[in-house]
Amino acid sequence: MSTSTDPRLRPPTWDAARAPHPVLVRGLVCALVPLAVSYFAWLLAPERVGQPVLYGLLVAAELFNAIQALGFWWTCAGERRRPRARWAGPSAAVDVLVPVYGEPVAVVEPTIAAAVRLRGADVRVHLLDDGGSEAMRELAERHGAEYIRRDTRSGAKAGNLNHALARTDAPFVAVLDCDHVPDPRLLEATLGYLADPRAAFAQAPQYYANHAAGEIPAAAWSQQALFFGPIARGKDGHDAMFCCGTNVVFRRTALEDVGGFPQDSVTEDFELSIRLHEAGWTSHYVPEVLASGLGPEDMASYVSQQQRWARGCLGAIPAVLGSSLPLRLKLQYALSASYFLSGWTVLIYMSFPVVRLLTGSQPLAAVSADQFLGHFVPYFGLALVAVMAFGRGAYSFRALALQAASFWIHVQATLFVLARRRGSFVVTPKEGARERQPRAVAPALAALAVLLGVALLGLVRGHDPATLNNVAFAALHICVLTAGVLPALRRAPVPAAAPQVAPARRAREPVTA
Amino acid sequence: MTATEGRTPTRPQPERPTHRRPADPPPRQPDPRAVLPTTPAGVRRLAAEQLGVAAGQLGAGVGNLVFALVAARVLAPGAFADLAAFLALYLLIHVPAASLSAGSAMAPELAAAARRRALAAGGAVGGALVVLSVPLAALLHVPVGILLAAAVAAPTAGLIALERGRLYGLQRHRRAVASLLAEPAVRLAIGVALAALAGPVGGALAVVAAGWAALLVALPRDRDESRAAGNGASPAAANGASPAVPHPRSPTGVAVAAFLLLALVQNQDVLLANAVLDPVEAGRFAVLSTLGGVAAFASTTVPLMLLPRGGRDALRAALGVAALLGVGALAVVAISPGALVELVFGARYAPVGAIAVPYVLAMALLGVARVLVAHLCVARPPRATLALLGATAAGHVALVLAIGHDAAGVATATLAATVTLTAGAAALTLHGTPAATRAAARALAALRRPDIAALIAITAGGGVLRMLATRGIWLDEATSIHQAQMSIGALLDSLRTTDVHPPLHHLALWLTVRVFGTGELAVRVPSLIAATALIPVIYLAGRDIYDRRAGLAAAGLTAVAPFPVWYAQEARMYALFMLFAALAVWMQIRVLRDGGGRNWLGYVLAAAALVYTQYFGILFVGVQQLGFLVALWRVRHEPDELRPLGLAWIGWSLFFILLVVPLMGFAQAQFAANEAAGKGFEQVPSQAGGTVGEIAGRPPGAYAALTNAVWAVLGYHSNATMTALAAMWPLLLLLALGMLGRGRSWRTLLLAACAVVPAIVLFGLGQMKPLVFEVRYFVGAVPLVLLLIGRALTSWTLRAGATVAVCCVAALALAIGEADQQFNGSNPRVYDFKGAVHSIERRARPGDLLVFTPSYLDHVVAYYRDGSDVSMRPLSNGLPRLARGQRVFLLASFLDKPQFRQSTQAAVRRLDARYRLVNAEKRPQIRTWEFSR
Repeated sequence: MSTSTDPRLRPPTWDAARAPHPVLVRGLVCALVPLAVSYFAWLLAPERVGQPVLYGLLVAAELFNAIQALGFWWTCAGERRRPRARWAGPSAAVDVLVPVYGEPVAVVEPTIAAAVRLRGADVRVHLLDDGGSEAMRELAERHGAEYIRRDTRSGAKAGNLNHALARTDAPFVAVLDCDHVPDPRLLEATLGYLADPRAAFAQAPQYYANHAAGEIPAAAWSQQALFFGPIARGKDGHDAMFCCGTNVVFRRTALEDVGGFPQDSVTEDFELSIRLHEAGWTSHYVPEVLASGLGPEDMASYVSQQQRWARGCLGAIPAVLGSSLPLRLKLQYALSASYFLSGWTVLIYMSFPVVRLLTGSQPLAAVSADQFLGHFVPYFGLALVAVMAFGRGAYSFRALALQAASFWIHVQATLFVLARRRGSFVVTPKEGARERQPRAVAPALAALAVLLGVALLGLVRGHDPATLNNVAFAALHICVLTAGVLPALRRAPVPAAAPQVAPARRAREPVTA
Repeated sequence: MTATEGRTPTRPQPERPTHRRPADPPPRQPDPRAVLPTTPAGVRRLAAEQLGVAAGQLGAGVGNLVFALVAARVLAPGAFADLAAFLALYLLIHVPAASLSAGSAMAPELAAAARRRALAAGGAVGGALVVLSVPLAALLHVPVGILLAAAVAAPTAGLIALERGRLYGLQRHRRAVASLLAEPAVRLAIGVALAALAGPVGGALAVVAAGWAALLVALPRDRDESRAAGNGASPAAANGASPAVPHPRSPTGVAVAAFLLLALVQNQDVLLANAVLDPVEAGRFAVLSTLGGVAAFASTTVPLMLLPRGGRDALRAALGVAALLGVGALAVVAISPGALVELVFGARYAPVGAIAVPYVLAMALLGVARVLVAHLCVARPPRATLALLGATAAGHVALVLAIGHDAAGVATATLAATVTLTAGAAALTLHGTPAATRAAARALAALRRPDIAALIAITAGGGVLRMLATRGIWLDEATSIHQAQMSIGALLDSLRTTDVHPPLHHLALWLTVRVFGTGELAVRVPSLIAATALIPVIYLAGRDIYDRRAGLAAAGLTAVAPFPVWYAQEARMYALFMLFAALAVWMQIRVLRDGGGRNWLGYVLAAAALVYTQYFGILFVGVQQLGFLVALWRVRHEPDELRPLGLAWIGWSLFFILLVVPLMGFAQAQFAANEAAGKGFEQVPSQAGGTVGEIAGRPPGAYAALTNAVWAVLGYHSNATMTALAAMWPLLLLLALGMLGRGRSWRTLLLAACAVVPAIVLFGLGQMKPLVFEVRYFVGAVPLVLLLIGRALTSWTLRAGATVAVCCVAALALAIGEADQQFNGSNPRVYDFKGAVHSIERRARPGDLLVFTPSYLDHVVAYYRDGSDVSMRPLSNGLPRLARGQRVFLLASFLDKPQFRQSTQAAVRRLDARYRLVNAEKRPQIRTWEFSR
C-alpha cells in the first residue's frame, strides 16, 4: 500500500542532464592544472621538509587528493553530449527483476505497480523474494508480476539475480531495487542505447526522492547528485560508466558472457561492470531521472551503505589493477574504487594540529604563511569553484561534512580489505530511525573530543601566531565534524512524505563484521 | 562707493506700495481653465515669459550699476559720497513700497483705486523732506539739494509699485520691462551729464527723472487699459471667462504684508550688521550683502508675475525660473569668490570670498521662498504664511544677535533664516495637496511596519555611532581641506597638477567648507551623510535583491561594521565610494531583472559618480560591464530579450561614456603631472598601518591579501591583533567550504564578482605597483560583502530564532572589531596630530618654533595650528638657531619609514647637543620633543 505522500511518486526536482558549458569546464581545468603543479612544485621542494614522517603523510595525503581531483577534472572534461537513442526495432521483451529481502510491502508495492506499467517493451516483471514472505507473493499476484523465491539465499543480491536469470529468457533484463519506483519511460529511454550490439547495459541515475526528508538523506543525495551528475556524464564520455545496481537495463547475452552477477563481492554491480568492460562490452549512462528511490534516512543506514560500498570498491582495487582493461578504463575504475581511501586523508589532516599542539612537530619547515597561502589558496579555491561549477551547486557543505565525519568507515574498510575479512551484503534500510544514533558516529565523536581538547590546550598554552594557526585548523575540523555528526545526535523529525506503513524491521546499526 | 550703494543694483527695484481700502475688491484667483496652461508647452511658455521679464530686471540692475560706477568716476570722491547718500535715501523710500506691487499684481484694479492715495502719501513724505531738508542735510552731511531731490522722488515710490504691479497683473510684460529699463536708460542718458555739470545734485535729479520716466511708461496708456484696470478686468475676464472667485482669506493686504516681511528678511541683516558689528566687519558684511543681492534681485519679478496667475503650472514655471536665476548667481560667484570680491570691491575685502557662496545661496533660496510665498498668498489661508514670515523675521533678528559676532556669523544667521523660510513655505505649499496627503499616508503606513521601524532605529543608531566615533584630522584629510579652501578653479587646478584622485569628493568638500566651515565635524559632513545613507541603501538593496530579512540583517551589520564607521569620520572619498558602489550594483541588478529607463539612469549615474569619486571605481564598473555581456550571452538565442537589452546597454553605455569623458582629460593631466614629477602613486604614505602583511615596497603576497580582507570586514587593528587574526586564516577555509551547495543565483554571483574581482585586479597590479593594493582602493566591496553576509546569515536556517541569534553574533563580532579599531591606541591608522599640536600650543609662547617632519605634514600641522603665534617649518629646511629663552618643538611622524626615522633621530641628536630637552611625548603615530635654550 502506498499513499499519495510517498515522495517517490512525485516528479523529480533534479535534472541529471543539466551541465555547465563545456568551455567553462575546460577553461577551469586548464587553469587548475598549472595551479596544482605550482602547489606541488612548491610543496615537494626539499627545504619544505619539517618532521619527516609528518611531511611524508602530508605529501601522501595531498598527492592522493590531487590525483582524485585530477581524475575528477579529467572525468568531467570528458563529458560528451550525445543525442538520445530511441529503440527503432520491433518491440523487445524485457525481464524486469525486483529483488527484495525483508523490505516492507509498502515500500515495494509502488515499485511493482509502476514496473508492470512500463512502456516501450514487452515487460515481464519478476519479484525476487529472498525473504520468503507470503505478503510479497500476494503483492506479486495482485499486480500480475511473477513471484520467484529461492530455496537457498547464497550470493545475496547477486545470487538472487542470477537465480532469476536462469528462470527468465527475455533478451533484455532490467534490474530495479525494490524501493525504486520506475518512470513509465524507463525502457523507452534506455533500450535505444542497447541497439548497439556491443552495449552491455544502460544505466540511469539513482535519484533519492526523499532527499528533503531530513539532513542525512539531503547530504547523501548531495553526494549522489555529484556522482550521477558531472561524474557519471563524464564517465559516459570516457565509455567507463559502471553499473550501479539499480535502474539499469542489461543485454542478457552480455550478462551470460561474463557468467552473470559476481556473487563474491558486496558490490556486485561494480565487479560486474569491470568484467563486462574487460570482455569488450560497452556501457551507457542515460542522464535522465527514470526511477525515484529512497536514500538512507538515518545515520546508521548511511553508515551501513557506505561500509558496503567502501569494502566492495576497495576490495575491487586488485581486480581493477590486474584487469586487462584499456588504460583509460582502468584509470576510471581505479579512481572510483580508490575514492574510498579518502577517509585516510581526513584522518591525516586532523592529526596535524593535534601533533603540533601537543609536541610542536609539524610537517613543513621554513614556511611562512604567506608562501603557503600563496601556493595553496589559488589551487584550493579554484578546485572548490570547479566542484561548485561542475556540480552546479549539487555538492553541499553538509555532504562534505557527512563524508568527513565518515572518515573512519574508509579506514575500517581498508583495514578489513587488507586483512581479507569478508563482509556480508547488507541491504540499505529503506526507513529511517527516529532515535538518536551516537554509536553510528562514535569514531567521529572521539576525534571531535580529541580536537576540542587539544585546541583548548593550545589556547591555554599560548597565543603566538603558530599556535593560533593550529588552533584554527583544529577549529576547522571541529566545525566540519560537528556538522557531520550532528544529524546523528538529533531526533529525526517524522517525515511528512514517508510511506505510511508500519516498519517491518528496525534500521540496522552499521556492519562491524 | 559705500556699502549701501553697492547694494543698489542688486536689490529689488522699488515697487510702489498702496494701502488697502475697505472698498478694495479682494484679490482674485483667475480661473485656471481660462488663463492657465495645462501642458508642458504651457509651462515652458510661462517660464519663457518669466525669464523675459527677469532679463529686463537684470538689465535694469546692470544699467543702474553702470550708472553708479560711471558716476563714481565722473564725480570727486566727496561728491560721489553725496550721490551715494541720495541713492541710500532713495532706497529707503522705495524698498518698503516694493512690497505693494504684490497687491496690484493680484488685483490690477487696485492701481486705479489707490493711485490718488499713493500720490498723496508720497507727496506727504516729499513735503516732510522739504520741510526737514535743512536740518537733515546738516545731520547727514549732505547738500540740501540732495534732500530736495529725494522729496521730489518720494511721490513716485507708491505709484511705480502700483503701476508695475498692475502691469504684471494684466500680463503687460513688455510695458513692465520697458518701465524697468527706463530707469537706467534715463539715468545713463542724462545722469552722467548732469552729474558732470551739476555735481551730485545733478546726478540725483537724473535719478528722480528716471523714476518719473519709469512711472510714465508704466501708467495706463489708453482708456481701455484704464477701464480694464479700474474694473478689475483681467485678461481672463476680458476673454469672457467666468469671473475669478477671490480667495476669501487671501486679500491683497496679506500679499502686501507678506512681501513687506520678505523685504524685511532680505534687508534687515545689513541694518543689524551695522548695529552690532565693528566698522570693518560691517563693511565686509555690506560687501557680502551686495553680492548676495545678485541672486535676490534677479528673481524679484518672478513672484509678482506669479501672483495674478496662480495654479500649479505657473508655480512650476516660477519656481524653475527662480531656481535657475539663483543657481546662476551662485555659479557665477562660486567659480572664484575670492577673485570676484577682490576684482569688484578691492583686495581689502578678499576674505569675504570665503563666505560669499553661502550668503548668495541664502539669497537664492530667498528668491525661491518669495515664489512660494506668492503662491501661498493666492492659494492658501493667510494666517500660516504670515506667521511663518513673522517668525522667520523675528528668528532672523534673534540669530543675528546671538551668533552675529562677525560677518560670517551674520551670514550664517541669514542662511539659517532663508533655509527655514524656504522649507516652511514648501511645506505649507505641499500641505493638503493630494500628492502630499498620499505621501504622508504612505509614510505613516510604512512607519507602522516593523521592518521600517527597525530600519529607522538602525539608521539612527548607526548615525549616532558615526557621529560619536570621532578622531583627529589626518594627513590626507588636511590636504583635502587645504584644497577645498581654494577657489573652485584653483582647487581643480591643484587636483589636476598635484593629486591622484578624481574631483567629486573634493567638490562636495569645497561646498561643505563654504557652508559649514572647516571644523572637524564640518569637513566630514559629506562622509557622514554618505556612510549613514549607506545603511538604508543596503537595506533597500537587500530587500530588493533578496528579501526583507536579508536587507535588515545587512543594514544592521552596516550600522556597526568598522569600515563604514571609520570612513564616516574621514574627510576623504571612501564613504562616497562605498555608497556609490552599493548603489551601482543594486541598480544594475534592477536593470537586469526589470529593465526600465529609471533603473538604467540610476545605474549610469551611480556608476559615473563612482568613477568621479575614485578612479578605481572603474574596476567595479568593468566587472559590471562584464556582467552585462554575460547577461547578453545568456539570452543570445532569444531575440525578444537580446535586442531590447542589447540596445539599451549600448545606448546607456554611450551615455555613461559621455558622462565620464570630461574626467578622462582630467585624469590624463594628473597622470602626466605625476609622471613629470616622478611621483605616481608613491607620493602618499598610503600604506600606513599596513605592516602586518606587507613589507614596504615589496609586491603584496597572500598574507597581504588576507590582511586587507580582514581589515575590510573587521576594521583596522593593532599589528598584534592583526597578526593573531591573520593566523586564524584556516577558518576562511571553513567559510569557503560553507559556500558549497549554497544557492548560486546570478544576483549573488554578480555581487560576489563585484566584491572580489576589483580586489584581485588590484592584487595583480600590486605586483608591479605595490602601493595600489590597499583596501581603501577597493573599499566599495565592503557594502557588497556585508550584503552577502546578511544574505548568508538569513538563509542559513529557516528558524527565526536561530537567524536572529546568528545575526546578533555577527553584529557583535563587528561591533567588537569597531570598538577595538576606535579605542585601541595601537591602531596604526590612528594619527593623533590634533593632540600633538594642541599640546605644543599649550606649552608654546609667542616666538617659539615648531619643526615638523616629514614635510608633507604641513597641511595637517597648519590645520591645528590655526591662529597660533608659533611659527612652523619643515625639518627639511634645517634646524633653527634659538635665541635665549626661545623653544623649538620637533614633531615627527611616519617613523616606521627608515628615511624619516633616521632624519628625526639625527635632528634630535643635534638639538640635544645644542639645547636642553624639556619634554618629550609619544602619541599614536606621533612623537614630539621640546627643546629650550
